[in-house]
Amino acid sequence: MKTEMPLSKPIRLFVSQTENILDTEIALLRNPEADPNGTLVDVYTYNIEKNVILFPAHYTGLLKDFIIARHCVHLLIKGAAAKKSRYLVCSFTGGSVYQGIHQIYIDALKDEAKKEKKLPVTKLIQMLSILYTNFNDDINELPWNPITNARVYHRMPQIRKTQLYYLMKEGKADMDDMMEYEDIIPRRYFVLNKAMFYARDQYLAKTLPADELMPVINIPQMKKFNHLEVKEMLTTRWTHTSWYQSKVFGDTILEIMEKYLQKIDWNAESSLDYFHEIYQLGVRMTNHFISYMSMKDWFVWEPPKHLQDAQARKTEYVDEALKKIFGDLIEEHSADNTQG
Amino acid sequence: MTVKEAEELIRKGRAYASRTKYKEAIAYYERALALDPSNPSGWYHRAAVFIETGRNTEALADCERAISLNQNYSDAWSKKGHALYNLERYEEAVVACTRALALNGNDASAWYIKGVCLDELGRNIEAQEAYGKSLELEIILDMEAEKKKIGR
Repeated sequence: MKTEMPLSKPIRLFVSQTENILDTEIALLRNPEADPNGTLVDVYTYNIEKNVILFPAHYTGLLKDFIIARHCVHLLIKGAAAKKSRYLVCSFTGGSVYQGIHQIYIDALKDEAKKEKKLPVTKLIQMLSILYTNFNDDINELPWNPITNARVYHRMPQIRKTQLYYLMKEGKADMDDMMEYEDIIPRRYFVLNKAMFYARDQYLAKTLPADELMPVINIPQMKKFNHLEVKEMLTTRWTHTSWYQSKVFGDTILEIMEKYLQKIDWNAESSLDYFHEIYQLGVRMTNHFISYMSMKDWFVWEPPKHLQDAQARKTEYVDEALKKIFGDLIEEHSADNTQG
Repeated sequence: MTVKEAEELIRKGRAYASRTKYKEAIAYYERALALDPSNPSGWYHRAAVFIETGRNTEALADCERAISLNQNYSDAWSKKGHALYNLERYEEAVVACTRALALNGNDASAWYIKGVCLDELGRNIEAQEAYGKSLELEIILDMEAEKKKIGR
């Protein structure tokens, strides 16, 4: 690691340890346009020489440290998988895109039948693609979120207050996710999307309920959370949303999560074997989620390069799937759009 | 006129620095400093670029020059703390950051560097206090940034 930016001692040691275990280099970069959650660009996913952790330029202190810690844990999992076996992600093919989009279409038709105001075909087609992509993104990210959070919490007690702020911020964003599509998405998928995040929040509430996670009450905007510890914040806010019905599905997803994650000793010393085991558990847990959500045919486990190629061909895959489903109608629709 | 020209050159230098074009930024700052060496801002901004490029001893010298021109230049004190931290002169960095914070208590970065240095010196309780203050300020800044984004 080579950086001119100040780093707190525990994070500096954690980054060095990650580099040593994986025998790789990590560069830390500030970027004004970086995602608020930071971005990990790693050698196990991309054909690059060293790993880069990007974070927003205005994160100069502990917010930056937390992002670095979490991405280091994720890097360790990916690296251990690549070194001990194979690092695979949930990718897609033309065939799996068809399976996914077709299933969403069938469910959309069921919902549409009950609606007085029908969804225009253009919007329906748009929704099929957006929803499929969204689930692909979520299934690749969400299972690793409670894992990285739990590990950081147990190994980095110094940054727990920062972690609390992040959990609140991230949880809020995830609750709001897809709200703009609320009226056009089949209810089943909306509930499943919310249920995944509900389960994540409940799991973290159970796993990280320490007293030191009391909010930083000197911040005016956080005063409303005074006297609430993290468990209460993560659980009660779900009861205040219209998506509380996600609870039924969410509780099942939580059970699946606990079934796999209870096997992990969060305080164990870092090693390739340890993170490889976590990777395998993460994959098994992801498969269980996919199976529970009846999305078995939607995705395929492949190396990251396969996913990058698939993403480049996504429009082609989606078009093919839509043609199979709508036949001539989609050609007319495309022609209308071109003329319009 | 020279003063205005120098300020314009500093502004251009900052634009380059924000795009990590440090070589160009330094060239502009040097032209500004040649025109008006009594402007502490030129020294401060060149110090910032020196830090980004690992030239910490030169950064420290520039910060000291900026401070000699304006003793109450809080950003220059903060940057001096950063340069001293990079040079592993932790005690002196704590002093510089403390001075920066006496002038501007809302400098999240100065609180953080102070915390990091205190941590390095084994003064853990004081370090936690500084980290706590830094986090509060960072969160406020982050919330403001989020609000701006929503407003855009």
